Amino acid sequence: MRALTRVTFTLAAGEVHALVGENGAGKSTLIKVITGAETPDAGTLAIAGHAVTRMDPALSRSLGIRAIYQQPSLFPHLTVAENVALALESGRAWRRVDWGARTRTAAALLERIGAPLDPDRLVESLSMPEQQIVEIAKAIGANAKILIMDEPTASLSAREVDYLFAVITRLRGEGTGVVYISHRLEEVFTVADRITVLRDGEVIATSPRADLDRAELIRLMVGRELAAVFPKRAVPLGPVALDVRHLRSRDAGLDDISLDVRRGEILGLAGLVGSGRTELAETIFGLRSIDGGEVLVNGARARIGSPADAIALGIGYVPEDRRQHGVILEMSIAENASLANLDGVSTRGLIDTRAERETAEQYVSQLRIKTASVTSDVGSLSGGNQQKVALARWLAIHPSVLMLDEPTQGVDVGSKAEIHAIMQSLAERGVAILMISSELPEVLGMSDRIAVMHGGTIVGVLSREEATQQKILAMALERDPAAGVLPLG
Amino acid sequence: MRAKALKRYRREVSVAIAIGALALVLAVAAPGYFSAENLSDLFLANMPVLVVALGATLVILAGEIDISVGSVFAICGVVAGITAKLGMPVTAAALAACAVGGLLGALNGVLVAYLHIPSIVVTLATMVALRDALRWSTQGAWIENLPRSFQWLGLTQASYPFVTFGGVATLTLMLAWTLRHLAAGRAIYATGSNPDAARLAGLHVALAKSSVFVVAGMLTGLAALLNSVRFNQIPSNAGVGLEMKVIASVVVGGAAITGGRGTILGTVLGVVLLGAIGPALTFLGVSAYWERAIQGGIILASVTVDAVRARAKRNVPQLATTT
Amino acid sequence: MQPRRHEDTKKKYKRSSSCLRAFVVTFAFVFSWLRFSFAPAGQQRILLLAVAAEIAVFSAIAQNFFTAANFFEVMRFSVELGLLALALTPIIITGGIDLSIGSMMGLAAVLFGAASRDWHLPVPAAAAIALAAGLAGGALNATLVAGLSIPPLIVTLGSLSLFRGMAEGMTHAAVNYSGFPERFLFLGQGHLWGTVPAQLPIFVAAVIGYFVLLHKSIVGRAWYAIGSSAAGARYAGIAVSRRLGLAYILSGVIASVAAIIYVAHLGQARSDAGAGYELDAITAVVLGGASVFGGRGTLSGTLLGLFAMSILQNGLHLAALPSELTGVLTGTLLVATIAADRWRVRRSMTVADHEQGEISVRNSQVAILCATILAGAFIVAGTNVWLSRSVAPSARVASDAAPPAAGRRPVIAMMPKAKGDPYFVSCRAGADEAAKELGVELIWDGPTSLDAAKQNELVENWITRQVDVIAVAVENRAAISTVLRKARDRGIRVLTWDADAEPDARDYFVNQATAEGIGNTLTDEAARLLGGRGEFAIITGALSAANQNEWIAFIRKRLAEKFPDLTLATIRPSDDDRDKAFAETQTILKVYPAVKLMMAISAPAVPGSAEAVRQAGRRDVKVIGLSLPNINKPYVHDGIVQTVVLWNTRDLGYLSVYAGSLLTQNKLQAGARSMQAGRLGTLEVRGSEIVLGPPLMFTKANIDRFDF
Repeated sequence: MRALTRVTFTLAAGEVHALVGENGAGKSTLIKVITGAETPDAGTLAIAGHAVTRMDPALSRSLGIRAIYQQPSLFPHLTVAENVALALESGRAWRRVDWGARTRTAAALLERIGAPLDPDRLVESLSMPEQQIVEIAKAIGANAKILIMDEPTASLSAREVDYLFAVITRLRGEGTGVVYISHRLEEVFTVADRITVLRDGEVIATSPRADLDRAELIRLMVGRELAAVFPKRAVPLGPVALDVRHLRSRDAGLDDISLDVRRGEILGLAGLVGSGRTELAETIFGLRSIDGGEVLVNGARARIGSPADAIALGIGYVPEDRRQHGVILEMSIAENASLANLDGVSTRGLIDTRAERETAEQYVSQLRIKTASVTSDVGSLSGGNQQKVALARWLAIHPSVLMLDEPTQGVDVGSKAEIHAIMQSLAERGVAILMISSELPEVLGMSDRIAVMHGGTIVGVLSREEATQQKILAMALERDPAAGVLPLG
Repeated sequence: MRAKALKRYRREVSVAIAIGALALVLAVAAPGYFSAENLSDLFLANMPVLVVALGATLVILAGEIDISVGSVFAICGVVAGITAKLGMPVTAAALAACAVGGLLGALNGVLVAYLHIPSIVVTLATMVALRDALRWSTQGAWIENLPRSFQWLGLTQASYPFVTFGGVATLTLMLAWTLRHLAAGRAIYATGSNPDAARLAGLHVALAKSSVFVVAGMLTGLAALLNSVRFNQIPSNAGVGLEMKVIASVVVGGAAITGGRGTILGTVLGVVLLGAIGPALTFLGVSAYWERAIQGGIILASVTVDAVRARAKRNVPQLATTT
Repeated sequence: MQPRRHEDTKKKYKRSSSCLRAFVVTFAFVFSWLRFSFAPAGQQRILLLAVAAEIAVFSAIAQNFFTAANFFEVMRFSVELGLLALALTPIIITGGIDLSIGSMMGLAAVLFGAASRDWHLPVPAAAAIALAAGLAGGALNATLVAGLSIPPLIVTLGSLSLFRGMAEGMTHAAVNYSGFPERFLFLGQGHLWGTVPAQLPIFVAAVIGYFVLLHKSIVGRAWYAIGSSAAGARYAGIAVSRRLGLAYILSGVIASVAAIIYVAHLGQARSDAGAGYELDAITAVVLGGASVFGGRGTLSGTLLGLFAMSILQNGLHLAALPSELTGVLTGTLLVATIAADRWRVRRSMTVADHEQGEISVRNSQVAILCATILAGAFIVAGTNVWLSRSVAPSARVASDAAPPAAGRRPVIAMMPKAKGDPYFVSCRAGADEAAKELGVELIWDGPTSLDAAKQNELVENWITRQVDVIAVAVENRAAISTVLRKARDRGIRVLTWDADAEPDARDYFVNQATAEGIGNTLTDEAARLLGGRGEFAIITGALSAANQNEWIAFIRKRLAEKFPDLTLATIRPSDDDRDKAFAETQTILKVYPAVKLMMAISAPAVPGSAEAVRQAGRRDVKVIGLSLPNINKPYVHDGIVQTVVLWNTRDLGYLSVYAGSLLTQNKLQAGARSMQAGRLGTLEVRGSEIVLGPPLMFTKANIDRFDF
C-alpha cells in the first residue's frame, strides 16, 4: 500500500488552497512531504520555481514553509516569547540570544493578532486555545511564504474561528499561500479559493470553490452519495436520568449549574471554548471536585468522587482529546473496549479473555469498526474508528447517561455520519445523551434541546424548534464578551 | 518583575534557604566549620561531584539520564595516570582524560540519540560493562609512582585550590551563561521540553542529545583529572556510587527528571547542600551510622515539600497538563 | 571414610543424569511455551536465542554445566534476585522504577535478625515484622509516587538511601545476626526430595501469583493501561493512584520476602544485604523486553532475562572464566538485544508494510542475529578451549575422581573476599608463583565487591565443576560454612585463608594473624607512638565490614585492659575508598584537634589518611594502619606513616596454594605438627591451623625490601 500515488498539487502565492479528504486519504503524508518530515519515493518538489531534490525540516523552514498542526507543538517549560523565537530564529548554534528582542517580537506579534498574552508566561500555564494562539503567532511571525494549517480550528470555537479567518485573509492579501486542511466543510467553503480532494492517496479533483457545492464535495470525498442531513428522529422521552442542581466547582470554574437530561433525549451543550463545557462534563464524571450543589442520577442523589463512582452509576464519558484520554493507543481494541467494564468481563478479578474478545467483536460489527482483528492496537486505526472504539468502551457498561465531548472532531465525513447514527440509536434505546460540540450545525441537527454555557454557567436553554445559529451565538457571547473567552480583542 | 523571578527560581530559593538554615545551626554549634581551611577542603572534596553534576545537568535538561558517570570517572582517572606515567606533561594527561571521557560519552550518546535506546538502559549497561572491564584490565592495581609534576597540576598545594576554584567557577559561570544566552543552550532546553516540537522547529534533536552526553563525559574526565592530581596514586576503583550523588544533587537543585526544567545555579546549590551535610554531621557530633538515612531523608523531604506546594498552588488539576 | 564419600558423589551424579532427561524435556517445554503460546515480542525472541546460545556454548566449554544438579543450583541462586525482578516488572510496566528494593531487603533482613535474635521472637513473628517493614517502606514510596505524583526515580533514589541508612543506623552497621534455628535455615539451604532447593517453591508461587496478577487480572490490566497512558486510564475510570500504589507496596513486601529467604540462605543478617541488587533486577526486567517508558513487558520476559543473567554468571564460573566478564557481557547483551530489536522494528516498518514481507524480513534478521551471537560466543569459547588446552592438556577429563588421577594436574580454586582489592591482588601474585612451582592449575576468582552471597554461589559452582581444592578468604563465617561442608562431603579438600569459617567446615585454616593479634599490635603501636596517653581516631572500611569490626572490638578491649589513658575519639567509615578516607580524615583533624594519631584499618584508607595529614601540614599527627607496603612507601619515607602492620600477603597466597597442593597428595595428614612450604621453609601447624608467622611491621627501615 502506498500513502500517496502520483499526487500533483500546486499552490499559488496569495491563494488559500483547501485540502480535504477522509482520514487516511493521504493529507498528512502530503504535508509531511512538503515540510520534509518524510521523503517521497518518486516525483518532484519545486518551491518558488526552484526544484528541491532533498527536503528536510530545516530546509523547508528556510524556504519559508510553516505548518500549524492540530496538536500544538510547543515547549511547555519555556516562555511564550521563547516558543515564538524558536520558530523564527535561525542561524548558528553559538550565536547569542537577545532576550529583549525576543520579548519585543513576541509581544508585537501577539499584539498584531490581538491577543495580549504575557510573553514571559510559561506555556505549560496556558490553556489549549491560548496555545493555539501561540502557534498562530509563530506562523505569522515567520512571514511564511507557504503556511500549512492542519485542522487549526479543532479546539477553537466559532468566534475564534472567525478571527482566524480574518488573519488568513490578511495573510492572503500579503501574498502568502495557505494550505488549509479541515473536516469542517463550512469552513472550507468560507475560506478557500481552491479545493483539492484526496482519496486513498490519489487526487480526485482540484477545482475552484465556486465550481463545487457541499453535496458534490462530500460525494468526491467519500466516493458515494451521503445524506447530508442528520439522522435525528424524535423519540418518546423517559424519566429524567441526569439532574444537576446548583452545581459549583472552584476547581473547574463552574458556578450554579442546573440542567437535566431525560432518557432518550440528546441535550446539546454549546458555548465558546473556555466557557466550562468540558469542565462540566469532567465534574459530573468525577474528574474534578464538587464544591456545592448536587447531582442526581436516575432520581437518586449521587456521590461522585472519582470516575469509578460515575461508571458505577451508569455514566459514560467520551472525552474531547481522543488520543490522550479517549482511547489508549498502545492497547488493543478488545482491551480498550473492556477498560471501563473490566468487572463485566471478569470473575473474581480474573479477566475472561474469550468473553472480552467476543464482546469487542460484537461492538466491532455493531459500530462497523474497520479492523482486521480485535487484537490490533487502537493506534493503528483511523481517527473515526478510534472514536468508535472510545464509544464502544462506554456502550459496554450499558450507560443510562452518556456524555460525548466533541464526538466528531477530527473525524472523517463517513465516520461522522455513522457516529450520529449511533447516537440516534442509543437515544432510541433510552440513553440520556449530553453532547458537547463546537460545530453548530451538529448541535442544531442532533439535539432535542440546547443548553448554552458562558463563563462557567448555563445562560439559557433552547428547544430544538426555537434554536438557530444566531440565537446560540448571541447567548454564548451574551454577557461581558471578555469573560471566559479568549481575549481576542 | 522581581516577584516573577522569585517564582521562577522558587526551588533554588528553597534550597538556598535550607543551606542558610544549616549554616545558621553550624555557626552556633560548630563555628569551626567556617574556617578557611575547612571550606577549602570541602570545596576540593566536592569539586568532582560538582563538575560531574554540571554535565549531568545538561543530560537531565535534555530529558535523558546518565548513570555511567562513576565508571567513566574511574576509567578517566586511570587514563590520566597512565598518560602521566608515560612521561607526558600534565596537559597531555588532561587532554587524554577528557578525550576518553568524551569518547565514552559519545558511545552513550550515539546509542541513545541514534539507536533510540532509553538512556537509563544504555547507561546502566555501560556502567556495569565499563566498571567490570576496568577491573579486569587493571586487576585492581593502583597507578603508583606518579611523576612529581603530576600532583597539583605542577602547582603547589597552596595555590591549587585557588586555581581550581577559579577554573571551576569560570567553567560553571560559562556553562550557566551558555545555557541561558546561547542558542545551543536553549536548544538543550527545547529538546528536553518537547523533542517532537524541537524537531519540527528545525533543531537537531539527535545531535543535541548526543552532544550533552559527550560534554558530560568530558566533564567527568576533567573531574577525574582534577581529583587525581590531589594525590600521588590513582586507585582503579574510584567513583563507585558517584552517579547517585550526582543525580541526587541535580534533582535536589530543582531540575525536572523529565527534562526541560532546571538551572546550573540549582545544581550548584544542590551539590553544596548535599556535600555540606556529611561533614556538618561530624562537626555536630552525629554518629556516622545515621548519615545515609539523613541524606535520604533530605532528598525525600525536598521533593515532597515541592510537590505538596505545587499541588496546593495549582488550581487546574493535574489532568489538564498531563501529556 | 574417603571411599564412601566418593561412592555418594557418584550415586548423586547418576541420579542427576536421570534428572537431566526430565530437565531437558522441561526446558524444551518451557521454550516452546514461550515461543508459541506466548508469541514473544521481538526482543524476547532475540533473548531466547541468546539464552540458547549461552546454554550451547557453556555445555561445550564448562564442566558439569548441563546437569540437573547445576540447573537447580542456578535456580537457588536466582531466587532472591528473581523475586526483586518479579516485583519490579509491574512497576516498570506502569512506567515507573523502584531503586529502593535492594535497600529494603537490607532493612527487612536486619529487622528480621533483630526480632529473632535480640528480641527473641519466634521465626514467624520475626518474619511478620520484616514483612510489615516492607509494607511500610512500600507504602512510603507509594504515597509519594502515586499520591503526590513525584517522579519514582527521585522518590526511590531517596528511599534507597533512607532504608539502607536506617539499617546501618539500627545496627551501627556492625551487628551480624546469625545462629538462626536449623528449621528456618532449611528454607534457604535445604533440598526437597533430595534435589529441589527449598526456596524454589516459594519463588514458583510468587511467579504464578505475579503471572495471574499481571496477565490475567484486572489489576494487571490497569497497570498496562497506566503505563501506556496514565491520563487515558484515569478517563476510563481506573483508580490510577490506587493501582500504582499497589505495585510499589507489593514491591516492598516482596523485597522483604526476598530478605527472609536471603537470611535463611546465608544464615546471617546484616545491613548490607541486597546492596546493588536493584540494578541487577532492573537489568533482568529490561533485558526481558520491558520498556522503561511503560506499557510493555511480560513476566515471561523477566524470567528469561533473569535466566540469561544467571546462566551467564554460572557458566562463566564453571568455565573458570573471570567474573569481570559477567558485567561486560551482561552490558553488551543488554544493549545488543534492544538495539537488534530497534533495528528490526525500524527495518520492518520502512521496508515492508504487509504481513508477508514483514515475516520474511524478521526471519532473515533473526537468522543473522543468531549467527552473529553464536559466532561471538564461539570466539570466546574457542579462545577458552585454546587457553585451557595450552595450560592444562587434560583438564576436561576432570569429571569423576576426588583424588586426582595420576598425571592430571590438580585444580585449586582460590577465592579472595573481593577481586579488585589491592590486598588480594598481592596475595594472588604469591598464589600464581606457587601454582607455577608446583605445576597445579589455579583458578582465581571471587566477588567483585564484598558480597557473602556471591562467595557462596561461587563455591557451589566450584563444587559442580569438581575442582580438587577450594580455598576461601571468608567474608562471612556462618554463611559460607554450609556450602564448604557440602564441598567436603563431595570429596573436595577445603582450605580457608585470611579469615576462617567454622572449624568443621574446612580441613585447614591458613592463618596469617589472629584478629586479636592484629588488634593488639595496632593498639600497642599506637600507645608506643603516643607515649601511652592521648586521643586517636579510626578510619575503618565499610561500616559493615566484618573483619574490621572484629579488630575494633579487640582494640577497644586492649584499650580498656592496658591503656586507660588512650582515648578513641571517633570511628569513621571510608567504604574502602581512598578519597573518602581522605575527606573523613580532613574533617577529623579539624573537629578533633586533640587527635594525634590516625589508625586506618583498610588498605586504601591508609594512603588516603596519610595524604590528608600531609596536606593539612599536621606533622604532629602520626598515621599507622593495616595496608600494603607499595601504596604506602611515599608516606613512610616522608615520615607521615609511622608503621604499616601487615603480614606478607604474597607469602599468604603462596602458602595457601602450597597447602592445597599437599592436601591433594595426602601429604598433609591430620595431626601434623609442621609442614614444608617451599621457599618459606618449615612452618608450624597448630591443630588445624597453619600459621604464616607473626605480622610484619613495615617501617622506614624495611619497607623497601617488600614489593607488593
